[in-house]
Amino acid sequence: MKRPLRGAFSSIALLTGLALAVSSCGFGGNNADDSDPNTLSFLAPSYSDNTKSEWDTIIADFQRQNPDIEVKLQVESWNSINDVVRTKLQSPSTTPDILNIDAYSTFATDGQLYPASEVVSPGVLADIQPGFAQNASIGGTQWALPLFASTRTLFYNSDLFARAGIAAPPKTWPELTDAATKIQALGGGVSGYGLPLGSEEAQGETSIWTFGAGGNWSEGDKVTVDTPANTEGVAAMKSIADAGVTQPNPGATDRKDVINAFIQGKIGMIEGLPPVIGMIAQKNPNLKYATAPSPTETGDPVTLGVADHLMAFKKDGKKSEAIKKFLDYFYSAPVYSTFVAAEHFIPITASGTQAMAEDPVVKAFSATLPVAKFYPSNNPQWGAAQGAIRQQMGTVTQGADPAAVLGRIQQAAN
Amino acid sequence: MTSATGRSGSRSTAALRALPWIGPVLVLIAGVVAFPAGYMLWTSTRALSAYGQDRGSAGLENFRTLFAIDELGSVLLHTVLWVVAVVVITLVLSAGLAQFLHKDFPGRTAVRLAILVPWAASVVMTTSVFAYMLDPDVGLVNRFLVDIGVLDRGFGFTKEAGPAFLVAIGVAVFVSVPFTTYTMLAGLQAIPSEIYEAGRVDGAGAWQRYRHLTLPQLRPAIAVATVINIINVFNSLPILQVLTGSIAGFSADTTTTLTFKLIRQNQQVATAAAMSVLNFALIAIIIAVYVKLIRPAGEEAR
Repeated sequence: MKRPLRGAFSSIALLTGLALAVSSCGFGGNNADDSDPNTLSFLAPSYSDNTKSEWDTIIADFQRQNPDIEVKLQVESWNSINDVVRTKLQSPSTTPDILNIDAYSTFATDGQLYPASEVVSPGVLADIQPGFAQNASIGGTQWALPLFASTRTLFYNSDLFARAGIAAPPKTWPELTDAATKIQALGGGVSGYGLPLGSEEAQGETSIWTFGAGGNWSEGDKVTVDTPANTEGVAAMKSIADAGVTQPNPGATDRKDVINAFIQGKIGMIEGLPPVIGMIAQKNPNLKYATAPSPTETGDPVTLGVADHLMAFKKDGKKSEAIKKFLDYFYSAPVYSTFVAAEHFIPITASGTQAMAEDPVVKAFSATLPVAKFYPSNNPQWGAAQGAIRQQMGTVTQGADPAAVLGRIQQAAN
Repeated sequence: MTSATGRSGSRSTAALRALPWIGPVLVLIAGVVAFPAGYMLWTSTRALSAYGQDRGSAGLENFRTLFAIDELGSVLLHTVLWVVAVVVITLVLSAGLAQFLHKDFPGRTAVRLAILVPWAASVVMTTSVFAYMLDPDVGLVNRFLVDIGVLDRGFGFTKEAGPAFLVAIGVAVFVSVPFTTYTMLAGLQAIPSEIYEAGRVDGAGAWQRYRHLTLPQLRPAIAVATVINIINVFNSLPILQVLTGSIAGFSADTTTTLTFKLIRQNQQVATAAAMSVLNFALIAIIIAVYVKLIRPAGEEAR
């Protein structure tokens, strides 16, 4: 009698432990009351240490003018915001009314979003620069509001350039490799070129190179990853890594690491984004550096442009009036340009650009806007492709074949 | 093996009569075990969007996608290596440590407490400390190696799959040792000292006493420590995530980190659900085999 029963209990106990340990199902809790049409929940990522206080100020000023509307802000890090969104979207009551994130297309094609025309005034829509508005549209309908833009440009350390005897910033890939080789030869733990292909942002660096070879991530409504031009760009990336003139282990280096190393003067050149200017001013103001157009295969300038978006979730459809009031207020030139300047990005409205004409970031980067190519963020397949690039691209610096890697990413996107 | 009442079919009657007492426990088990496990199975057969919206039945499509991942075989191999290496090294180290802590020496309490520290700290924190120490540019270890002239510039211990995986095994052992040591220590302290006296009288040497007296008595403790460690190590995400998370590809992944990557990077929640089911099945099989091979506490005739 004793044995079987104890056996049964101990196996139940074992299974209990097993299932507790193995199963990782999550069931999100509910937020408080969501039925009030004048209470807006707003989920935003943190662009800098000040992002939360910037939004807090904007919301406080807005509520002073509109005491009947309450905006509840939640700020998350970029590392976790996608998980937070996934969790919140499980139930309408926790779904944010306004979301600030990069990709909007899956939500739009699933019919979850308000069209942009229902959540901002026509004046704001007309103020948005046409290229960005198009980038936020699917099938002729604009579903999201570009928040601001970021492009990439070559940052180079002019001290290291002088010491290595390099006269001018490189324009083409051979010149880039040449300059990187000379800087690497200086020794002392200094790397020639910072190539971040770790899982944080590999798609950004990769795009600069594939665009530089004349490539593209989409054609019509298809995501195109394994094209000859893209393969050429990735092969060029692989060869600069194989030449040993980048920081060690490019396949496991995150973007923030090369930016920090550049600010400390440990790297000759990186593809930098607008906030790097502010970071240098804050962390190492003595660094001697300059910016130049991103080197490409032929020397014709092209670079990567990224726009993050604001989007409004429809849910029961009762909050469009309150959302419109808030977004109209946010996109008014003084509020908008203050925010963009504080975050060191590039404005995407005509009035904002005018208001920020003297901004150092706008001065350094405005030349790159006309030659910027964007991620196909209006394509629902892009999210998966982007994730696969992050995950796989670094393997080319560990011996994987560029065409094969692109082929697998294409598979992941389909 | 005779039943208490002696009538046939009495076991079901007895179980029925016991129901009011064990009922709440059964409900609890159903709630915290059966439901999540069932829900996991159910999820793995649904077509889910990138943010978890249910788009209807997918049949076995998620499992097909999962088994189409070329690296799945090597990931399974890593998982086996990972579990076996961590559990075996932990057990051997802990057995030695427990033996040491079992001796009476001045300051024993302080040493015992010190052993507990790695267990008390959060695993993510402990792992981050190691990750920073080994950082190629600012890590203490690399600085030291460069300063004494062993290396020209910092080596990326955590930047390449092979070394990073070894470092991760080391950290996993480091955080598993305290619990295992204490389990074994408890086992050691339960052994009556008369046995050793008898052994000494019979002229057994130290190793013979350990091999033939201590180990058999420790068997239940070792069994418990092994099962719990296998489950724990098999499901361990934070150590590998912190140390090898930024390495491209799947060359340093176990099934657990693969699940994580499927959700975070590939945005394939549904495939990850299928992976979880496979994970669950794997560990159930591993434990079943282990339990069959080495019967745990109290299952053998004394």
